[in-house]
Amino acid sequence: MTLQLLFDALSLGGIYAIAALGIALIFGVMKLVNFAHGQFIACAVFALIVPSADAIATLGIGALPAPLLIPVVLALGAGLAVAAEALVFRPLRHASPVSLMVASFALGVLLQNLLLVTYGGRPKALSLWAGLGAPVPVLNAQVPLLQLIVIGAVAVILVALALMLKRSRLGLEMRAAAEDFGMARLLGVRANRVIAGAFALSGALAAVVALVLVAQTGVADVRMGGAIMLIAFIATVVGGMGSLTGAVAAGLMLGAVSAALQAFLPPEARPFRDAFLYALVILVLLIRPQGLFAPAGAKPRV
Amino acid sequence: MSKLGVFDMAVRYGKLTAVTGASFTLSEGARVFLTGPNGAGKSSLLGAIAGAVRTAHGRVEIDGEIVSGRGAEDIARHGLSMVPEGRRIFAGLSVRENLLVGTGIRPDREAVAEDLETVYAAFPILAERRHAPAGALSGGQQQMLAISRALMTNPSLMLVDEPSLGLAPKVVDEVYERLCALQDLRRLTLLIVEQSATRAARVGGRMLLMRGGRIVADGDAAAFAADDLLAEAYFGDPA
Amino acid sequence: MTTMHRLRRLSAATTPLILIAALALLVVAVMVLGDRATQRMATEALIRVALVAGFWIFAGNSGVISFGHAAFACVGAYTSAWLTLRPAMKGLLLPGLPEWLAQAHWPVLPAAVAGGLAASVLALLTGAAILRLSGIAASIATFAFLAMVNAIWSNWTTVTGGTSSVVGLTRYVTPWVALGWAGAAILVAALYAQSASGLALRASREDEVAAAASGIDRYRHRLLAYALSAFFCGAGGALAGHAIGVINPDAFYLSLTFLMLAMLVVGGIGSLSGAVVGVLAVTLAGEVLLRLEGGVSVAGVSFALPPGSQEILIAAAMILVLVFRPDGLLAGREITLSARRVAGRERKQT
Repeated sequence: MTLQLLFDALSLGGIYAIAALGIALIFGVMKLVNFAHGQFIACAVFALIVPSADAIATLGIGALPAPLLIPVVLALGAGLAVAAEALVFRPLRHASPVSLMVASFALGVLLQNLLLVTYGGRPKALSLWAGLGAPVPVLNAQVPLLQLIVIGAVAVILVALALMLKRSRLGLEMRAAAEDFGMARLLGVRANRVIAGAFALSGALAAVVALVLVAQTGVADVRMGGAIMLIAFIATVVGGMGSLTGAVAAGLMLGAVSAALQAFLPPEARPFRDAFLYALVILVLLIRPQGLFAPAGAKPRV
Repeated sequence: MSKLGVFDMAVRYGKLTAVTGASFTLSEGARVFLTGPNGAGKSSLLGAIAGAVRTAHGRVEIDGEIVSGRGAEDIARHGLSMVPEGRRIFAGLSVRENLLVGTGIRPDREAVAEDLETVYAAFPILAERRHAPAGALSGGQQQMLAISRALMTNPSLMLVDEPSLGLAPKVVDEVYERLCALQDLRRLTLLIVEQSATRAARVGGRMLLMRGGRIVADGDAAAFAADDLLAEAYFGDPA
Repeated sequence: MTTMHRLRRLSAATTPLILIAALALLVVAVMVLGDRATQRMATEALIRVALVAGFWIFAGNSGVISFGHAAFACVGAYTSAWLTLRPAMKGLLLPGLPEWLAQAHWPVLPAAVAGGLAASVLALLTGAAILRLSGIAASIATFAFLAMVNAIWSNWTTVTGGTSSVVGLTRYVTPWVALGWAGAAILVAALYAQSASGLALRASREDEVAAAASGIDRYRHRLLAYALSAFFCGAGGALAGHAIGVINPDAFYLSLTFLMLAMLVVGGIGSLSGAVVGVLAVTLAGEVLLRLEGGVSVAGVSFALPPGSQEILIAAAMILVLVFRPDGLLAGREITLSARRVAGRERKQT
């Protein structure tokens, strides 16, 4: 049983980590808490189907074979995020973090209602890669193939991202800009390039989460962005705002705790699993307000 | 044609005027100190020239080309590099990574590698700790790093804000020694904000004296030390 | 002897009076000239004034955007429902309520106050954790708090009715009742803003380190503002519930949060007058859009906006305000009688 739990925890935690990374990337570079991130995920989900109000969705782009579908969806996610940056966040480049946050919240509402208008409010059934639900025997547990793929994909993504940040030109500039944006500009780093890059990455990561959600749940609902976005935010805060490793670690932890709660809570308490999770988070923040992995100098020394 | 031309520069932060009516030119290879008491507007003026201050008005020309109104990253591509107050090194990045941040604007990778070796030769401590996080360096070492980092953009004009801030006198000596050596080596034009007018006089060069946001005097640094003007600027009645 | 300081204090004191007077005039006009639909709109607007003025007590003074205030409204609404519904009904629909609560049958005013107090207690308990965080982190924590309350409320079926609505609330909220609460909220908000705590909170917003060095305990002032703010959101929630007679957890979740935020941003988060103006502006715009969604004929051609367009347009308006006029319609200024006029009045009296 514990092996099953381990896989549950890893796959859930992995997706939470990817979602949290999307938030942390943008926050690191421009101190923006992107409340629209959940809607980027939802838009990527709905991009797969043909606009209609039907309860059973017809796959549009979603019908493409996987090797074609995945890059297309990633590109769509990245494109949406970059467009949002150009239209909404760039005009607010020099506004306060609070204004940016509120604007992103408004953008999220706007996107959600656009989806509502285009696709209707009813949750839709859609089948994407349904074959991946088949259980695969691993040691003494039966693990859905999808879970294994998710765990593998998350690992690959994390490694690729780490490499990109550590080794590439853009990664170096992004890390420098995250530490001190003004100084980076004085050294010739192009602000627009770095920010657009962060948004593109964030959008692509949102698309990954979207694909996994659809494959896992088989449902497209205009409200689906909200729940996972909340967990992503919590992971970012618990991990320490501005710390990418913190966001990933916290995402994994939250996944593990969530899976454990689901397994060990008595059945009557299960619906309250989410409430338990949030309460635990508030507890963590009480003990360590700056987050578990806050970057050095996170608290101003008085 | 002068290397740097500043015409009628003004900087305002809301209702506060930090700099007003600043005008001067620098010829190539010059070493000029910007001195004056606290709050005189020196850092603001430097920041405005580099494009780091948004609320600046006035004309700035580098090699005759107007650069004012452009973003800092554009001005950096015109051969200007700034070492701001407080070093502002990227503490989380390694020493080597710090040095490489500014090289994105240089197309010639071999020249970059060469410059890196030159920096390592000039500052052995940086070579020794090239993979250490920059935050672990001492104050003086960080200053060397900040200056080297600015040099890695291959500038012809360098603005240095308070290189002696928070450093022991002996270390400051060393910093200025290296700075002057680099200037001779690379035909740099230097504009340095230096709190200590006596220090400026000792190093030698031209001095622009600022007070209350204006440039009130312009002449040889050593001559100033002898003159009453300095004392008046620092201790006299505000105009 | 009238000093500048005293004049300014007097001038500031005129703000709540002007706002309340204006709202009272509105009520009179609506009761005399308007039909039931307009009266309903006026009641709704005034309830929102109470909610947003309460919201402003915290967000406007601390600079921290709380996404969780709708949760206080939820708690207040349900507390008032639990106290005012007939015991027989509660026994049937909400079997999980404790005995003393199930038997309670209170009059409406104490129930609304109790709703506010329950919200305040919740605010004190959760604020202890949330308010120690830095501004942005605190905002996210309030979002988690909102989700937590919604999760609990939607699932605790025996006590809250879960996602089904609780019906049968006494519909006692007339425009005058709503005005009373709106006025109280405005008054308390103005008093708090001028109080030592309010000033300390605003000071610490500008520069945390300087404030701490001056001996200001930001956390305690935040807690006070949070609790006060929750009270009026709780009472406002009770009013909202009793205005329609039906409540469910979704009514106090994301759409209410968005609405409250929109009203604050449009009017300007910096001032209480801004908050009130924001409520009126957004409510009016909302009504117009609602009519358009219902269908309108222009020159014989009828067209209707699809549902959801209201939110799209309000969201777009919010973004535009943030880009072009980030301080809101009133740009952080209060509506007051200028200090000069106050001085003139003073001089006449002496």
